[in-house]
Amino acid sequence: MKIILPDRKTIEEEREPAVIKDILESLGINPASVIVAKNGNIVPDDVILENADELKIISFAHGG
Amino acid sequence: MNNPNLCSICGKPAAVRLNNPERRLCAEHFIKDAEERVFKAIDAAEMIREGDRVLVGLSGGKDSTALILILSEYVKTRPDVKLIAVTIDEGIAEYREDTIKAAERLVEHTGVEHGIISFTELFGDTLDRLVADRKNLACSICGVLRRRSLTEAARRFDADSIATGHNLDDEAQSVLMNMLRGDKPSLIQDSSLGYTGYFVPRIKPLAVLSEKEIVTYIMLKGFYTPLPECPYAVTALRMEARKIIGTLEERYPGTKLNIVRFRDGIRKHVPYSPKGTKGKLNTCKICGELTSGEICQVCRVLNRKQSDE
Ligand SMILES: [Zn+2]
Ligand SMILES: [Zn+2]
Repeated sequence: MKIILPDRKTIEEEREPAVIKDILESLGINPASVIVAKNGNIVPDDVILENADELKIISFAHGG
Repeated sequence: MNNPNLCSICGKPAAVRLNNPERRLCAEHFIKDAEERVFKAIDAAEMIREGDRVLVGLSGGKDSTALILILSEYVKTRPDVKLIAVTIDEGIAEYREDTIKAAERLVEHTGVEHGIISFTELFGDTLDRLVADRKNLACSICGVLRRRSLTEAARRFDADSIATGHNLDDEAQSVLMNMLRGDKPSLIQDSSLGYTGYFVPRIKPLAVLSEKEIVTYIMLKGFYTPLPECPYAVTALRMEARKIIGTLEERYPGTKLNIVRFRDGIRKHVPYSPKGTKGKLNTCKICGELTSGEICQVCRVLNRKQSDE
């Protein structure tokens, strides 16, 4: 599983399939403050991520 | 899986899950859904009247990007309405240059007329220099000056209303902040709305969309570019309000919308009168703009002095 964090740092490790929201929470990220893309497509955070998938976490900062 | 992630309308893979009513939408149908909610809000509140010239504050940031994209869709069904985009150049080094470029790309794409007005031109100096010795107040001073800049732009472009990109998060945060400060006048009268017959009315078409929906919308439309953040921090109280409401929304979906609807409900029952004036407005003794006091907010934040004559 490959996870790209908002600061562009990457985590790559073997992981059991998990709901994206739970992955975010385990990383200390509030799901409401980010948008997630699974294998390049934006998805809701209740989608399951398999070990072979890539997750990109995009945080949107405040500012008009 | 007991909830396959498919669009409730067309069955394609969904990009977003929304509640109230519970639905999943693909990129195309989310874009449509978001636009239709804004169109409905505009029509329900009669934000744009027949033949209006609408000035659109276009900072080039995410909210105003969505605003110009959605409004330029809206006017396709309202050929009587004319949009004019205006970018305020506050003079913030290493921040504004990139967003002005983004704004220029957008007006090129949408074909909307575009003007740029700078703080230097209106107030004699850049924001950076105006707040050099009081950086902690930069955000609120900038707000006051930006508001005046838009009023001035509306005058120059002969606009009937000013549309700004305030989203659902901004609005819900403001309600909570007004409560925490005990600021009842601001809660019941939107100081940015202007007073009919005095100021150009302000409209907030995006107040039905959350910040997350707005960013999703511009990403799906292909207009998302990570831009530098404004170097001046937002007020501490807004940060707190943002955190509190964010947590509540996560646990009780619909909280933001409920907060804003609650405020709107109160506003309907309170007689309309400009903030703290019982309906009386004066002209500023220094610059001549309309104000509820003797000296307007702009002259106060700029420390302009009254000349003795
Ligand atoms: Zn669809
Ligand atoms: Zn004044």
